[in-house]
Amino acid sequence: MQILGISSNNPFSQKTFADSLKLPYPLLSDFPHLKTIQSYGGLNPDWQSTTAVRWFFLIDQQGIVRGKWQGTTKDVFASEPILKAARELAKKQ
Amino acid sequence: MARKPRFKMVACGTVLLVAAVNASAVEQPPITELLKPLHLSGYSSSMRPPEFSGLTAANRSVSLAGLRGRVIVINFWATWCQECRREMPVFERLHREFGPQGLSIIAINAREGATAVREYSKELGLTFPLVLDPRGVINSAYGVIGLPTTFLIGRDGRAVALAIGPRAWSGKAARALIQALLAEPSTLKGKP
Repeated sequence: MQILGISSNNPFSQKTFADSLKLPYPLLSDFPHLKTIQSYGGLNPDWQSTTAVRWFFLIDQQGIVRGKWQGTTKDVFASEPILKAARELAKKQ
Repeated sequence: MARKPRFKMVACGTVLLVAAVNASAVEQPPITELLKPLHLSGYSSSMRPPEFSGLTAANRSVSLAGLRGRVIVINFWATWCQECRREMPVFERLHREFGPQGLSIIAINAREGATAVREYSKELGLTFPLVLDPRGVINSAYGVIGLPTTFLIGRDGRAVALAIGPRAWSGKAARALIQALLAEPSTLKGKP
């Protein structure tokens, strides 16, 4: 399984963020045009579409989206539903 | 017959020149090696730090573009950060010692008011610029989520290294790194 983080932040700030948290997976920058975020319907209207809403997408080996979850708070997002779906998908593949 | 010995002498001189160049390379380790003792995270040579401009607590305007050609230490800090408080006098010493040689220390505050920053500066006797960032715009552009966080910028404007958390900035390793960066030309060979 490969985890990717995509944000509207510039690549420079993403390195600081990733180093600060010692993230074990890559962060991809969609700055400045946010085309990927837009194509996933993740633009945040509350910020004039200059940032992204927190979304999680689970994609299988054929490239088909098998699940999506929206972060509804600014705080912690419960990862258990995503992990459960990922484990079930891994068994089927 | 007389020409052969002369050729040998020229060849010998070439060997000595190569040896001298190699010795010079050994004396000056590459910047990437100098980052290791300080546990600094390096950048690819093409990475440029985000431009910014702001006002200091003394109402002086500071911009990254205005410092081009100098080695720049950008330190993100706050008055409540105890580790920042320990680093500030060290940055002041570096500012006084290496400033005339081309080092600029810029400390960017995290979301505090001018009065708090002015009082802090006066208390610690700081003379390098303390830039205000009341809305956290510069902090955000640099991705800073913990303090202190410090960036090193080369004379050519490239991002050199990042430190998450405090470092021994007045130690032997940091001084060697700063001196190596100060010795670089403002435009590195092969770069714009």
